[in-house]
Amino acid sequence: MTIGCELDKTPIPPKTPQIVLEGVLNAGAPSQVVLLERARSGLVYVISPPYDTEDPVTSDAGIPETGATVTLITPSGQSIQAIEDSKVNDGKGEGVYRIPITGNSLVRDQTYHLLVQTLSGETLSAVTSVPDGIASTSVTYNPSFDRTRDTFSATWPASATAKSYLVRIDTPDGPRQFFTQGTSISLPGMLRNVDVAELPHVFFPGFQQNVTVSAVDSNYYDWFRTHNDVISGEGLINRITGGVGVFGSLVLLEYDYLQVTAPRTQPTEGTFNFTGSSFDALAVRYLSFDIYIESPAARSGQSDALSGRYTPKPRLDYHGCPVCGFLGTASGNRIELALLDGWSARDTVEVFDGQLQGDTLTGYFRFGGGPFKFVRQ
Amino acid sequence: MAIARFAVLVLSLGLSARVLAQAPAGATGTVAGRVVARADSTASVVRPAVATPVFGATVVLVGSVGRTATSDSAGGFVIGDVPAGPVTLRIRRLGYRTLDRRVVVPPNDTVRVEIIVESEAQQLSPVHTLATQTEVESFTAKPNVATIVMPARLLAGVPSVGEPDVIRIVQLLPGVMARNDFNTGLNVRGGSSDQNLVLLDGIPIYNPFHMGGLFSTFMDATVGGIELMTGAFPARYDGRLSSVLDVRSADETRPGVHASADLSILATTAQVGGALGNSRGSWSLAGRRTYADALAKTFSTDQFPYHFSDFHGHADYLLPHDWRFGVTGYTGNDALDLNLATAIGDSTVSTARQGTWQYGWGNTVLGASLGRDFTAPSALGWLLGGTTTFEQRVSTSRFGATLDVAQGAQVQRSNVRDVRATGSLTAHGATNDRSIGWEVSGTHVRYGTDSPQMGTTDFDIIQDPVSYAAWVGDLWRPTSRWLVEGGLRGERLTGGAGARDWAALSPRLSLKYFVTPEVALSAAAGRVTQTMHSMAGDGPLRFFEVWLSSDQYIPVETAWHYVLGAERRVESSSIRIEGYVKNYDRVLDANLSDDPTIRGDEFIVATGRAYGVDVLARWTPRSGPTGWLSYSYGVAMHEQDGVRWAPGNDRRHDLNLVATWQLARYRLGARFGYATGTPYTPIVGQMLRRLYDPSTGQWDAGITTLNLEPLGGARNSARFPATQRLDVNVSRDMHYRGSTISPYLSVVNAYNAHNIFVYVYDYSTDRPTRRAYTQFPILPSLGVRVAF
Repeated sequence: MTIGCELDKTPIPPKTPQIVLEGVLNAGAPSQVVLLERARSGLVYVISPPYDTEDPVTSDAGIPETGATVTLITPSGQSIQAIEDSKVNDGKGEGVYRIPITGNSLVRDQTYHLLVQTLSGETLSAVTSVPDGIASTSVTYNPSFDRTRDTFSATWPASATAKSYLVRIDTPDGPRQFFTQGTSISLPGMLRNVDVAELPHVFFPGFQQNVTVSAVDSNYYDWFRTHNDVISGEGLINRITGGVGVFGSLVLLEYDYLQVTAPRTQPTEGTFNFTGSSFDALAVRYLSFDIYIESPAARSGQSDALSGRYTPKPRLDYHGCPVCGFLGTASGNRIELALLDGWSARDTVEVFDGQLQGDTLTGYFRFGGGPFKFVRQ
Repeated sequence: MAIARFAVLVLSLGLSARVLAQAPAGATGTVAGRVVARADSTASVVRPAVATPVFGATVVLVGSVGRTATSDSAGGFVIGDVPAGPVTLRIRRLGYRTLDRRVVVPPNDTVRVEIIVESEAQQLSPVHTLATQTEVESFTAKPNVATIVMPARLLAGVPSVGEPDVIRIVQLLPGVMARNDFNTGLNVRGGSSDQNLVLLDGIPIYNPFHMGGLFSTFMDATVGGIELMTGAFPARYDGRLSSVLDVRSADETRPGVHASADLSILATTAQVGGALGNSRGSWSLAGRRTYADALAKTFSTDQFPYHFSDFHGHADYLLPHDWRFGVTGYTGNDALDLNLATAIGDSTVSTARQGTWQYGWGNTVLGASLGRDFTAPSALGWLLGGTTTFEQRVSTSRFGATLDVAQGAQVQRSNVRDVRATGSLTAHGATNDRSIGWEVSGTHVRYGTDSPQMGTTDFDIIQDPVSYAAWVGDLWRPTSRWLVEGGLRGERLTGGAGARDWAALSPRLSLKYFVTPEVALSAAAGRVTQTMHSMAGDGPLRFFEVWLSSDQYIPVETAWHYVLGAERRVESSSIRIEGYVKNYDRVLDANLSDDPTIRGDEFIVATGRAYGVDVLARWTPRSGPTGWLSYSYGVAMHEQDGVRWAPGNDRRHDLNLVATWQLARYRLGARFGYATGTPYTPIVGQMLRRLYDPSTGQWDAGITTLNLEPLGGARNSARFPATQRLDVNVSRDMHYRGSTISPYLSVVNAYNAHNIFVYVYDYSTDRPTRRAYTQFPILPSLGVRVAF
């Protein structure tokens, strides 16, 4: 009753595009990366090809600012020129400027200046100071994190000059990340992800998930904790002179790698391995599914939500993950699985649609054909 | 101590003035009495026990400007220092026949009268002369600068949005601005919506809104009348910078038990009330609940897991020895219980993986008052006048809101609760009504965010301020042409650790000069302060205020009001024009970038100014349409560090025409509004919020959704187009076996004007676009009222 009408779109004049700078000095990284792009202003029709980690601006609906001069001035006064990735990577990586300085050579608690000059003559500048703290060089592996029972806990040494600590958990729906002022954290296995509108769980059985903790400076903290109000366009803290964005720094203190599991008690759940003739073995691209009920149906007519992992068949033309995640649904005997590109729901590489009869799961792949049989282990 | 010395000084000045004024006068006496109601009776002297007290009746000493009293909850009234001899009292009350009563006042003594007024409920047109005569008498008795009094029945017939709402009608008065259709928050003379002190029978209510501000907490059946002060209010009021809205509970003055029910498309309201204890008092109870949630479940597969409810109770009772006792209670709650996984609908696809939102907020108010009129001993007559009214009130008010996202993954809580004791002593004299009052309140504020699932706390602000206030006031009638009301309010704020130790004196002065008995010029000035502040921000929607008190980090807001006005008022019409200036020495704007881990950055401290002109013309002829025309011109500006901006409520022109017309059994109502646009910040671009992965050094790895961040231009540098709206209402009264059944139809925005609410921008193409979302479209609503 109270919702107003949505009127037709009306064209408005394009605006002057602002330049956006996003750079982080990472004490654990082999090199430092600065992104330079234009804000959307109505001058460019933005396209969004499949995401490519080597080309994060262009492949992620951005408008790269290419050809700029990006210089990092160290506390000792040394100037280090950044190299745009696209110049050395067959054109990939426009707007991605890589500063050839290793993280372990960054001097803590000292001021680094970043100077940028674009081809059109705009200049941007910013400063940051890398907080102290020992950068983590190893990954702690937890091979069996039962989300129904376990709580992930981590404690790290305090960083005297950090503004805050960033906790990041990689999930298939995108990272759950938040800041904390303390030096420990407890993450119950059934925690929900408030960074995603649908409020899914953070931990998905069958998935491999990273948990990292980083000490961050005030630039990083203020940029990522604030947002512009959707109506007023105000609220974001910007400390870039001449543009918008962040030049922050961080030290990775804690890096954990969890293999998430859960008890499997329902007929749908289990490990299903490929079984078939020699002909089928040549044709099939996936060898097994490790299926969990992620969330049972909450109402009648709704499917159970599934999660788990699958194993692609090794082959010469395959360069993806050796074990990857899937999300899916189960409705009665029907099982539908979206096989993910790695552990993120951002890209789906294949869809499996099958029927479960007893211990046998028989179905087709959307691109890979079928039918193929998978039998409960 | 300074406050006490000043109080003595002001009282002494008042006494001196009184003595000087009394010196040449002849003998005087006092008229004291009660106004009671009994159906089908005529005026006569009766025993108090056989009739119902009438609250709010105006008793006027005919032929004398400014000699007016208003009956209290027990029907009692006192007029002191009346010239000895025969005088005529005129008693007026909405819903009762006006009557004149002649009494003889003995010199140096008190005449006691009890007057029965006759109910005129069956004979009256709903919006007619008696309503305005209350104002006529108020016009003659007080400076009344920037004050609008409106009895409940004058509100009847005005088109409503789903549910009759007194706050929406207040928005149609001059100086009051509605930010948009979706918000019942009040912006008074350039002030933000947290700058209004909203009272229910004198008890503050912190967030009198439901459903994100769409409806107020006041049920139509429980409202007896309102008094709105838009500036330079008397010394007894403070705590907010812009206005005081005093909502008075309705009294059931008729004998017996009466009930009414109001069924609208949104909610059902039921009210029952009657006489109490052999007519020594009255009581009423009312409740309301919305049922959109139940309707959605019954008639569709959609879910609307939201409802709100209100319960209101009010009672008055005359205790032995003429002590008046009153009690008011209110509680209301909004509840949103949304399970995304079970939500289904045409536009909703839910999956089992989704989580829950639980959102609840509400007010609770409880207060009691005790009062009595005393005839001063002759030895103290020089100090206390002919009679003295004592009133003491204790109350508590609470507002709480809890947002629980995903079953404890993140929880935000905001709570404010106060316990308050206020009292006053008013001495009624021939030329002076002197008052002294006091107020002590303790407030508990808690605002925080935590995650019970993770056992972490983001922030937790706890405040326990204690405030003390004392005030003195003197309404002085030096001649028949002048009314002077002066006052001084002293306040102190303190509390435990972290509290702000603050004290201030706030003077108030109002003058009224009668050029003729019907035309008056007025002027007023005063300093106001505000120690409770909202973090709700300047956006177009305010779900509710998140209150914080002034403390060592948060300063006290202060402002000066200056008002000049002229008014012409006769029994059937009036026109008033007022110009005002409000200088904010310190005004707080919510800081959208505040760091929850740091105290002291919750607000931006600014200065500001608001000025403008308000015009109100009202007409209430004995036949034909009645209504009012209000026009406001206003300018508001805030400034910090040399940067100036118009707050979001800065509207230049606001015009409202309201009319109701009784045609036989049909009651017609209409409202037309035209207003120029409010400022907004234009979005001049959009950028992607990229995320950095510390473990890989890559940007946007692992994200699934691109988040676009709007980039704002200069703050509030653009304005929405002007808005206009026509609302109409028709109802018909039908009588059946002693009950009155009144079906009604309201149509809001009858010609479906496209009034812009917000713009949503898209800069992702090489032809950027802007899409407008409108305020209310055409909204018909049906309902029926049943009273018996």
